[in-house]
Amino acid sequence: MTIKRIADSGLMIMVIYILIFAMYGAVQPSALSAYSIQGLFNNSLPLMLAAAGATFVILQGGFDLSVAGTISLVNAIVAVLQFDGALGAIGMLAIALAAGILVGAINGFVVAYLKVQAIAATLATMIICQGVALLILRAPGGYVSDFMTYELTGSMFGIPVAIIIATLVALLWFVFRRTNAGRNLLAVGQDAKAAELSGINVARTQFFSFIWAGALYALAAYFLAALTSTGSPSAGEPFLLLTFAAVALGGTAFGGGRGSVTASLLGAATLVLMQKLLFSVGVSSFYTGMIQGMIMVLAVLFSGAVQFVVDRRNII
Amino acid sequence: MPERINITNLSKRYGATVALSGVDMGILPGEVHAILGENGAGKSTLVKILSGVVSSSAGTISLDEKCIRPSSIIEARRCGIATAFQELSLIPNMTVAENILLPRASSGRFWPESKASIFERAREVLIEWEVNDISSQSIVADLTLAQRQRIELVRALSHARCLLILDEPTAALPDTSWLFRQLHHLTSRGVSVLYISHRLNEVREICQRATVLRNGASMGTVDLAGVDDEDIFTMMVGHGSSKKKRVSQESSTNGEVLLETYQLRSKMLKGINLQLHAGEILGVAGLEGQGQQELFRLFGGLHKPTSGEIRVGDKVTSLSSPRKALQVKPGIAFVPEERKTEGIFASLSAAANISIPHFAMTGWAKLVNGRIERHLAAEAADQVGLAPRYLGFEVGHLSGGNQQKVLLARALMTGAKILVLFDPTRGVDVGTKQSIYSMMRHFVDQGGAIIFYSSELSELVQLSSRCLVVYDGLITDDVAANEISEERLLASAHGPGNARKDSLQEAV
Repeated sequence: MTIKRIADSGLMIMVIYILIFAMYGAVQPSALSAYSIQGLFNNSLPLMLAAAGATFVILQGGFDLSVAGTISLVNAIVAVLQFDGALGAIGMLAIALAAGILVGAINGFVVAYLKVQAIAATLATMIICQGVALLILRAPGGYVSDFMTYELTGSMFGIPVAIIIATLVALLWFVFRRTNAGRNLLAVGQDAKAAELSGINVARTQFFSFIWAGALYALAAYFLAALTSTGSPSAGEPFLLLTFAAVALGGTAFGGGRGSVTASLLGAATLVLMQKLLFSVGVSSFYTGMIQGMIMVLAVLFSGAVQFVVDRRNII
Repeated sequence: MPERINITNLSKRYGATVALSGVDMGILPGEVHAILGENGAGKSTLVKILSGVVSSSAGTISLDEKCIRPSSIIEARRCGIATAFQELSLIPNMTVAENILLPRASSGRFWPESKASIFERAREVLIEWEVNDISSQSIVADLTLAQRQRIELVRALSHARCLLILDEPTAALPDTSWLFRQLHHLTSRGVSVLYISHRLNEVREICQRATVLRNGASMGTVDLAGVDDEDIFTMMVGHGSSKKKRVSQESSTNGEVLLETYQLRSKMLKGINLQLHAGEILGVAGLEGQGQQELFRLFGGLHKPTSGEIRVGDKVTSLSSPRKALQVKPGIAFVPEERKTEGIFASLSAAANISIPHFAMTGWAKLVNGRIERHLAAEAADQVGLAPRYLGFEVGHLSGGNQQKVLLARALMTGAKILVLFDPTRGVDVGTKQSIYSMMRHFVDQGGAIIFYSSELSELVQLSSRCLVVYDGLITDDVAANEISEERLLASAHGPGNARKDSLQEAV
């Protein structure tokens, strides 16, 4: 059914993004310079990565509130470790990913094997991570190497590193979606009972979705540190609600089984772009949240309308 | 010949509830072995244990003299056991190909397999099992129930190396020849089949031996050729059940017309004219997909017709929602075919499920407790023969037959005078069927009217005061009680010409 295929492929959010970008370019021509685009993507990438991570969990029908806590924790860790240069940056990346995966593993274990409800478990993890972040880094500060601050937020071969990273994540999803693990993830989200009877190890699928999420949150925190050139124990707080707004905007249904990581990447990019657009038009930043919220409601209504049309067809 | 699969003293407890209390049986290689028993006898628990969905509490299963204890579907498949479940286990928004090949849809080792290759592999599986009318690229949600049932069966057929378990496989199939051919292919290769069904004539056709379960224990294994139905019923229920006779009914088509349609058209219907009188049970017969499902859903307020008139009572109405259908005097209550997804509220108690219409229609700020629910539900439950002790149970834990009784009780609770029932005895055992039949007769004796569809011709013959046959979106035959027979219904169901041919032959 073509309507469904279009809605599921993230085409809608791509169109919205291009439209808003065109508006932005029209209002502020200097936005189209290479430097501005680099800056735009640098600012968008942390939210994009966080939304991508959350999508893995949402697609299997779960929910992951720990995004804020994990980002704060990993951000604090990166700021506290004082490694320099390229090797240091890679070392810190490895440690950051390990930390994110550890949090993800705890979430996954509690939700998939102890069968605790996802919202409750990840809320608890979030609060715990937030606390540990404060223990590691008492106040904004810490040290982020020059290498990270300049190289990661710069460009490689003329393309902003942020865009390269985002593209790699999109490619990762493109491949993953077609593997058995990816299919099983979506199957569990659509009908966990049928998935189990079809031979899918539902608990293991749920467990690994949290691992993917944790890794991507860690990547977001790592890049955030490079971007702000500092660490903060509350770095993750703004991410909590915006992450889910981005996922919803991208068209992924919160019940699971439908959607894509690429769409969430675009949803996050759209949210940040909207912020920039409103700012350059002169809208007071106090209104930004309200307008973002309204656009999100429209996006969710549209997604619901599409689902309604598709379901009516299927009622027979 | 030694038995290939041996089950000894298999038991399963869920806390204090005993689902199986000692099943002993054996299955020969290449045999089709039936499992018979009433609702709650333990058949689905046995299936779940053999399939790897749950683990047994005690007892052993041995396959080829090795003890096995499958702890997951995958492990059961590795032992060579595959199952087609009664409540279909397909993923709705995925393609047929993916569903058949799950959980290993992509066979590539380092790189995902291309879509074209997956579709091709699945197509080969479909062709191997003689399914030629379903494309491996179709989305499962777009298929009819019968087609989905065949996909579920094909999946199990393709994985069964030693034992194929079929739980009510023909519930949604209009005819059994395709399935039985595939079973012959399997058994000629030495694969055994465990066949669970309530349809005794089918069981006699395809199975050699049968094991009867009662109250969680096996009552014995019999050779089907050597026992008659009466003996089987005795083993199943512990006492002989009365022979199913066609109850002669006085002509009950004199009552006032409660429901009428005129040139009703919709996507599949091409102009339906029918009348439903008070006091009659109007049967509807037809092969799968002739439009009867759509017709019933129109009556239930789930669809709008594209043209044509529906009259309820004597007023022309548009049934825009189930609520509207209930409110229009004298009220239409619709019971759909898929109780799992469209009927029951699985986590609520049976009493809550039954009494919900009462609360839906009378006020919105009342306090409710379990006692009130059970009190309200008691009378309706009694009318369908639902044991009062089930009223407090979570409906999701009840057997299929009891769940169906709950839904029928709920329909009675609405006070509607017209019941629209789509395959009300699908997947329901003999005892429950009798309860449902007597409820239906009692209902129309009180002045109500029932229009019901059944895929079991014998049921239509037994119950209907009058029977319509649907073919290709039109009503091709209207059979009165004194002319009704399975042959007549089957003939008309295959096309309008056949009925006339049949009556011509009779005239000669």
